[in-house]
Amino acid sequence: MTYYIRICLQYLLALFAALTVNFLLPRLAPGDPLNSLLGSDNVSTMSEAQKQEVLADFGLHLPLHEQFWNYLTGIFHGDFGNSVVLGMPVWDALMQRLPWTLLLMGLALVISTLIGTLLGILSAWRRGAVADIATMTGSLFIGSLPPFWVAMMLIIVFSTTLGWLPSFGAYQLGTSFPNWNWFLGVGKRLIMPVAALTIYQSAAVLLIARSSMVMAREQDYVTFARSRGVSEGKIFFKHAFRNALLPLYTHVMLGLGALVGGALIVETVFSYPGLGSLVVTGVNSRDYLLLQGLFVITSVSIIAANFLTDLFYPLIDPRTRRAG
Amino acid sequence: MSQAYVNTRGFLAPASTLTGKIQWLGLAMLAVIVVLAVFAPLFAQFGPRELSCTPFEKPSWVHLFGCDDAGYDIFSQVLYGARVSLFIGLLVAAISTAIATALAVMVGVYGKWVDSLVMRVVDVILALPFMPLVIVLGVYFGASIQTQVLVISCVMWVSPLRELRAQILALRSAGYVEASRAMGAGATFVGLKHLLPELAPLIVPQFIRIAHAAILVETSLSFLGLGDPLQNSWGSILFHANARAAFLTGAWVNWIMPPGIAISLTMLALAFIGFGYDGSLAPRLRARKATQPEKPLNAAPKAGVEIAAQDLHVVYDTEFGTREAVRGVSLDLRRGELVGLVGESGSGKTTISLAILRLLREPARVTRGAVYLGENDLLALDETGLRNLRGRRLALVPQSAMNALNPVLTVGHQLDEALSRNPDLTPAQRRERALEWLVKVGLEEKHYRAFAHELSGGMRQRAVIAIALCNTPDVVIADEPTTGLDVLVQEEIMALLLDLRRTLDLSILFVTHNLPLIARHADRLAVMYAGRIVDEGTPKDIRLHPRHAHTKALFDNLPGLTEAKRWPAADLAQLDQKAPVIELRHVSKRFQPFSLFGLGGGVPHDALTDVSLVLRPGEKLGLVGGSGAGKSTLARLVMGMLRPTDGEVLYQGKDIAGLGAGARKVMSRAVHLVFQDPYQSMRNGMSIRDVIAEPLRIHGIRDRAAIEAKVASALEAVQLPADGEFQSRRPVQLSGGQRQRVAFARALVMEPAVIIADEPTSMLDQSIRMEIVELMEDLRVRFGTAFLFITHDIALARHFCDRLVVLDRGRIVESGSADDVVLKPSADYTRHLIAAAEPEAAEAGEWQAAQ
Repeated sequence: MTYYIRICLQYLLALFAALTVNFLLPRLAPGDPLNSLLGSDNVSTMSEAQKQEVLADFGLHLPLHEQFWNYLTGIFHGDFGNSVVLGMPVWDALMQRLPWTLLLMGLALVISTLIGTLLGILSAWRRGAVADIATMTGSLFIGSLPPFWVAMMLIIVFSTTLGWLPSFGAYQLGTSFPNWNWFLGVGKRLIMPVAALTIYQSAAVLLIARSSMVMAREQDYVTFARSRGVSEGKIFFKHAFRNALLPLYTHVMLGLGALVGGALIVETVFSYPGLGSLVVTGVNSRDYLLLQGLFVITSVSIIAANFLTDLFYPLIDPRTRRAG
Repeated sequence: MSQAYVNTRGFLAPASTLTGKIQWLGLAMLAVIVVLAVFAPLFAQFGPRELSCTPFEKPSWVHLFGCDDAGYDIFSQVLYGARVSLFIGLLVAAISTAIATALAVMVGVYGKWVDSLVMRVVDVILALPFMPLVIVLGVYFGASIQTQVLVISCVMWVSPLRELRAQILALRSAGYVEASRAMGAGATFVGLKHLLPELAPLIVPQFIRIAHAAILVETSLSFLGLGDPLQNSWGSILFHANARAAFLTGAWVNWIMPPGIAISLTMLALAFIGFGYDGSLAPRLRARKATQPEKPLNAAPKAGVEIAAQDLHVVYDTEFGTREAVRGVSLDLRRGELVGLVGESGSGKTTISLAILRLLREPARVTRGAVYLGENDLLALDETGLRNLRGRRLALVPQSAMNALNPVLTVGHQLDEALSRNPDLTPAQRRERALEWLVKVGLEEKHYRAFAHELSGGMRQRAVIAIALCNTPDVVIADEPTTGLDVLVQEEIMALLLDLRRTLDLSILFVTHNLPLIARHADRLAVMYAGRIVDEGTPKDIRLHPRHAHTKALFDNLPGLTEAKRWPAADLAQLDQKAPVIELRHVSKRFQPFSLFGLGGGVPHDALTDVSLVLRPGEKLGLVGGSGAGKSTLARLVMGMLRPTDGEVLYQGKDIAGLGAGARKVMSRAVHLVFQDPYQSMRNGMSIRDVIAEPLRIHGIRDRAAIEAKVASALEAVQLPADGEFQSRRPVQLSGGQRQRVAFARALVMEPAVIIADEPTSMLDQSIRMEIVELMEDLRVRFGTAFLFITHDIALARHFCDRLVVLDRGRIVESGSADDVVLKPSADYTRHLIAAAEPEAAEAGEWQAAQ
């Protein structure tokens, strides 16, 4: 019980701190905030009255603590202000793009976990054999390819040269949900970005899965089980795997935290309308209300994911369960 | 890479292993790339911004990668780009690792509150999205190389910190840290002299990891166009390629591929180097094809013998050569017998028990021998046949039950799994039988659902016994089943095994180093030494007529409890006339677990209650009791490391508490604690000279000549060589007994009034126990030091000490002269301890008490 209370408090604290940092971050930018907002060229041509008007629009004329209070209450109402570059409320922009990012990252996470775990376990099963060494060197190699470069190469091969897959956007323009064509379009456009992400992530999962299986297999309880005549298969999948699950779980759940904010580079290469590419747009156009909203939503999801990780950890590791 | 592989021999594995080859390959690749980058002007004909060709020119010998759309040579761009990416990547790695190391050491030195603060900052940073954060900060503070480096470093120190911190937290509870603090070292001393050197081997792996990640981050940033516009890193090249539609022309082959390959090769090089630092990644040397052991010439099953091991030879293949662990051992176990296989560490006894069950893993190998279980040669049997026998006819009861039980499965689950080997039982029947067995071994039915960590050491061992025996095998091999348990619990487990042997008609091969325990109960003993059986026979036989010097040494080291004292006791009347050095008056110590606003607090633990004792100059006082009795707490109170909750601790008549902050300085000079485990209490990275000199350095003595002199004389006093060669050795190179002597040498340099010896012989082999106690007596005579001898071994205590004090759960239940306490015990607990040491003595004692 006290374990849960403790982690609740811990995460609430982290959440509050993250929100505060998010609030302060844009305001830390050196120079006149107006320059960041509108670009220094524009600002130099504005009159004092106009400047004050803009400041008032953004609530920047208020004292800091009032701004902070508005900011906090605004979050709970889903009011993040208006995006300058997109011309719509930030919240709407975020909600419009969120599903696409979740789709992309979610698929990548699931697929890379499955592939990585499977191959990692098989590798550990055949430890020291040629297949194992090949798999490991293979993952080291693949894990060294920069995802954005892999993305570019994929486009070159499958889009430009072979013309099999479209290379930008999330869905075929002109189609609409829930048309079959729409689904087809979405599917085709997911293949390459998901591939780029999955390739990179599987390598890490594979190495962790293999490493934890190898270590689990060397434990004394495996020797004891063997002495009782338990079959090698059972030892591997029941005894070793259940223990190897722990570090694997932690790693995968960390990936969960990156779900919302993680696909930045790949989304940009594919012009995929997710939250990641929105960050780049926001940065390039100095739309800091947009950025603030993005940061808040990513921070919250990271914290939520970490919280869930800790919440469910006792389920798989009895050692952390408390009586009652 | 969560488990750090600490290669103490160097930063890279030796080139002869596969791991080493991969690491060296990585290093070579990195070196080539660095050279190309540094000497770019030599290798590149043109500058990266030099208009040297026509736009989109195809690759040729002059322009290896052709040119981009503005007419710049791509090959030059790649070479010069290496400078930027490498510089940023390696610099970020250096800065991040430095920050992480500094913080980790601070956590180690200052402890809890710094740790909380640092981890809260870490939590917040981790809650912020990494790339967006770097991008935003980069944009705000300008896109120059300097800000890039700073910004990326500010975010990337978190990851190495977590790894280093985990290591530091583990190190803080290391034996040598405890020893250092016991000697009066402050937190800073410990941090700089112990924690930092131990952390050093981990720093390079972290550096490599961060460099790997930092290069990826830097190239990603430049790819997004957010890098320094004046510098052309690899990412920038790709940015321009992307922006200027290299896709649409055929230029992608020579424009997009080379920079990407360059990045990949660099990261791969770093990955190869970092490869060796995760121990589990390192594949074993090519798995040898399992060879069948040679069958000895006259191998044949023997009638009436359950297990007949014949001419067993086992070797270990190490990188230093092949070591023979078992050399021609033949052993018989008859039906219903209890045979004790006795030997010290390294004698080969555990190897034999595993060899019989064919549980040996690489690098151990059975080269010769036959083991007959009835008619079958276990060593020649196929896997299926072997598995059939395991658990049903032949069982292993292992030691160290914490690790023998799977931590994530319940006891009941593992019992059920064992019982399912019997296909005739239904699930309901299995459960019934499992519960029966739990009760049979002395546990309760509710323990079916318990996990290993919820049970005490003794209970875990019982659970292990239940799991091993629930299919009623005929033969049991018990490998040190009582080691590590409290002395009274050992007796209970032994009694359980004997009882089960009787009711189930088992034949038991009992492997142990605890000679007195097994000598009392075994039908036959086999003594092992250096891989051979040197003596065999009934316990009585062997004791009275030992054939081998080692056997004799073993028995000599077991003084009978009631024999004449080996070391003379001091004249107590005379002793009592001297003023006490240490005195405890009605001391109590209660531990209150920390609770935040009443949450999370545990049950307060009364370690000591109303303890009073006196230690006079030159006296030998024995403190006896089982685990949890409070002996260690008492030791720490005497040293001033803990404050009593009640009562006073006096040194030379003055209350320690009155000394305030200076108490530790004074007491650490006056009282020295020699630890139980000589393998933990000294750091392997220090030379013997430094180990012994540590107390001198802690107390500010810097003069080299003085230190040399004191170290040399201390070594002589403990009868170890005092020459430079010996002093330069590391603890790893010494045996357990030698290390404990070094520990005593360390105790002497400050000439303390009192030496507290906390179980100084319990981790050592039996044959050298006496030597160490002899050494203690010698020191007492020479220097007049008083000894507080803490032990659970009442026999040893009686022989060495003048007086004994018996502690049971924090209270003194008996005290008096050694002879009085042992020969005429008045407390029940004392009688239990005596019975555990020697049952006959207990009976004699009771007879005497009844008189």
